[in-house]
Amino acid sequence: MGNTRQIALLGQPNSGKSTIFNTLTGMHQHVGNWPGKTVEKKEGKFTYKDVTYTVADLPGSYSLSANSDEEIVTRDYVARTDLDLVCILADASQLERSLYMLADFAGIGTPAMLVLTMMDVAKNKGKKIDVRKLSEALGINVCSVIAYDKKTYDSFFAGMEEAIQSGKRLNADALYANIRQSEGAETFDAYLEKAGKIATPRRPKEWIAMKMLEGDEAILRELSIKGVNQPPADPKGALYTSDARFRWIESLLEEAVVDEKKTSELLTKFDRAALGPRSGKWVAFGIMILALAGAMIVAAPMMGIGGALPSLLNPLADLLGNIGVSEGIIHFIKATLITSLGWVVSMVGFIFAMNFVFGILEEVGYMARVSYVFDAGMSKIGLQGKALMPMIMGFGCTMGSTSGARVIDSYGQKVMTIAVAWAIPCGATFVVIPTLANAFFGVGGGILVMLLIILIMIVHVIVTATIFGAKLNPADKRSGMVMEMPPYHKPRWGFILKNSLMRMWDVFKKAFSIELIVCIIFFFLSYSKSGIEGSILYKIGTFIEPVSSFIGLKWQTFMAFFAAMISKEAVLGVLSAIFANSGSIVDTTTGLAATSDNIAQIVATAIPKAEALAFIVAVTFNIPCLQAVVSTYHETHSAKWTARIGGYYILTALLLAAIVYHVSGLFFR
Amino acid sequence: MNLTEVKNGEKAVIVRIEGDRRYLSRITSIGLNVGCRIEMLQNVKKKPLLIYGRDTMIALNRKESERIQVEVGA
Repeated sequence: MGNTRQIALLGQPNSGKSTIFNTLTGMHQHVGNWPGKTVEKKEGKFTYKDVTYTVADLPGSYSLSANSDEEIVTRDYVARTDLDLVCILADASQLERSLYMLADFAGIGTPAMLVLTMMDVAKNKGKKIDVRKLSEALGINVCSVIAYDKKTYDSFFAGMEEAIQSGKRLNADALYANIRQSEGAETFDAYLEKAGKIATPRRPKEWIAMKMLEGDEAILRELSIKGVNQPPADPKGALYTSDARFRWIESLLEEAVVDEKKTSELLTKFDRAALGPRSGKWVAFGIMILALAGAMIVAAPMMGIGGALPSLLNPLADLLGNIGVSEGIIHFIKATLITSLGWVVSMVGFIFAMNFVFGILEEVGYMARVSYVFDAGMSKIGLQGKALMPMIMGFGCTMGSTSGARVIDSYGQKVMTIAVAWAIPCGATFVVIPTLANAFFGVGGGILVMLLIILIMIVHVIVTATIFGAKLNPADKRSGMVMEMPPYHKPRWGFILKNSLMRMWDVFKKAFSIELIVCIIFFFLSYSKSGIEGSILYKIGTFIEPVSSFIGLKWQTFMAFFAAMISKEAVLGVLSAIFANSGSIVDTTTGLAATSDNIAQIVATAIPKAEALAFIVAVTFNIPCLQAVVSTYHETHSAKWTARIGGYYILTALLLAAIVYHVSGLFFR
Repeated sequence: MNLTEVKNGEKAVIVRIEGDRRYLSRITSIGLNVGCRIEMLQNVKKKPLLIYGRDTMIALNRKESERIQVEVGA
C-alpha cells in the first residue's frame, strides 16, 4: 500500500460536510480555485495509520446535474481515475431527501462509502436506522459520525481504510431496474448504445444514459463532440429519473429505517417570527445589530492591541538609534514594518470576530432564514437574500462584509457580494466625510451631502451588481429560490472558536507580507527629503493635474484620494500634511504624525465647493482601504478578481467625481 | 390546482410538475417529485412559499411554484 490516498467528500448543503472536512484536516487546508472556473477548491490533508490522505471538500449541491459550475466540477471530480474513495454524506434526520445525492452518484464506478451525520437528531425524531441493512443493500460501507467530534470517527476511519482496500462500489442495479419500469424505459435502453461512446469504467453508460434522459447539457455537448447527434430529450425525462431515484431510496429505507413518528411542531414559535411576513425583517435587523455589536466586542481586544502596537513598538525602534542605526532607517521601520503590523493585527482581530459571529449564525441555521426574508429584494439584483447580512456589516467595516461573504455558498455570488459591499461606506468613512462635509457646507449642507452619498450608494450597489453579475451570475443561470430551511442546532462554541482562530492565523500569515509591501511602496512614493514637493506622488499628482482637474481633483486632493485607498483616516492626514504642514505625507497616513485639529476648516477655505463635493464623493466610493483589498484577496483567493474589483472602484470613483463636479459646478460659483 | 393555491396548514400531494429541465432537476433534487406529500406552512403574498416535505422545511419561489400541480387532501 502506498502512503498517500486521495478521497473526496460529497454531500448536499447542511449535510455536515464542511464540519467533517474541518474536523479531519484542522490546520492542514488549502483553499483556491478550480482552474478556469469560478468555483472554490478546498483541499486538506490528514494522516491515519501512517497513510496521508488528501481530502477534497467538493462544493455542496443538491444533485449532480449540470445546473451550475459547482455541480459540473463536482461530478467530474468524483469520476476521476486517481480518486481512491468518495465519502457520500447524508443527514440521518432527513435521510430520504438527503440520500438523493447518493442516488444521483449511483452508477459512478469510483469506490464509495456512506457517512451518516446527525444520528442524534434522527433518534430524537424517532427514527432508528439499521446501518448494517443499509450497507448490505448498497454494497458499500456505511458509518455514522458526530461531525464535530473526532472521537466518534473510529468507524469512519475503519470503514474508509477497508473501502479503499476492497474497492467496494455502490450497487446501482436496483436503480436501473426502477428506470426500466418507468415511462422512460425505452428511451433509456435506446440511449445506452450512444452513451457507450463516451463511457469509461468510472462513468459507465448507464449513468450517462440517465443523464441523457434528463437532457443534461454537458453530456449532450460531450456527445456532439464525438459526433453523436441527440434529438431533444423528453422534457419529462428529469421526472422519470428523479422518480426512479426516490423509489429506490424509499425501498432502501423501508428495509433499514424504523420510523416511530413523533409529531412535533413543524413551524416553531421562533420560526413564526423569524419567517413571518412582517416580523421576519425586524427579527433579521435585530439580529444583524446584535451580530455587528457582538463582532465589535469580540474584535475590540485585538483591534485595541493593533491600535496600541505602534505606540508600544515605536519607542523600541527608537532604541535602535543607540546601536548606531540611522534615524532615516528607524523612521522607515516605523512607517512600514510597525505600521503594517499594527494594521494587520487589528484586521485579523476583526476577521476573527466576523468568522466567529457569522459562524454561529450559520451553524445555528439562522442564515437560511435571512435568505428567505430578503429573497424578494435581493434576487432582483442577482444576489441571495442572505447577502444582505455581510452588506450591512459593511457599514461597520468593509472587512466585515468581505469576510462575512463566506456565508454565500456559490463562489460567483460570493465575489459579487464582496464587489457590491465595497460600495457601502464604512464606519471610518462616516467619521471622515461628515467632518469634511460640515466644514465645507455647514451642518445643513453636510446632511444633504450625506443624503447624496446614500443615494449614490444605492445606485452604485445596483449598477455594480449588474456589471459583476453579468459574468459571475449570468441572468440565464439565475433561478428562483429552492432552498432548505435547516432545523435549528445548538452552536458548538468550541468548534467555531477553533475554526475562527485557525482562519485568523491563516489571514495573518498572508496579509502581513502584502500590507508590508504596500506600506513600503507607499513610503517611497510619498517620501521626500525636502517637503512635499520632493515626493514621487507629488510629481505624479502635478503631472496629471491637467487631466485630474477636469474631474475636479487638484494635485492636493488627488494625493488625498490616492491615500484613501490605504486608509480612510489617511484622507484627513494627507490634507493636513499639505495644507497645515503638520508633518510628511508618510507620517500622517501611517499615523506617526497627528492630524491638525481644524484641518477641515483650513481645507474649506482653500478648495472651491464644486471641487470639494467631487472630492468627497471620490473618496467615499474609492477603494475602501488596504485592509479591504487584502481581505478581499484572502476571501476570493484570486488576484485577478481582487484587481478587477479594485480597478473598477478607482474608475467609478473618478467617474462619479467627474459627474458630481460638473453637475454641481452649475450650482456653485 | 397549483401549489400557490394551497392554504396554510393544508396537506397535498404533488401530481404534476411542469417546466424546463433545469427547473425539474432543481425541484426534484431537493426532494419534491411527483407523488411527494407536502404540507403548506406559510403562504403569504409576495413571499416565497414555505412547505414541509420529506422531513424538511423548504422555501420555494412563488412564481415558479405555479408550475407544481397538487391535489389537496389526497
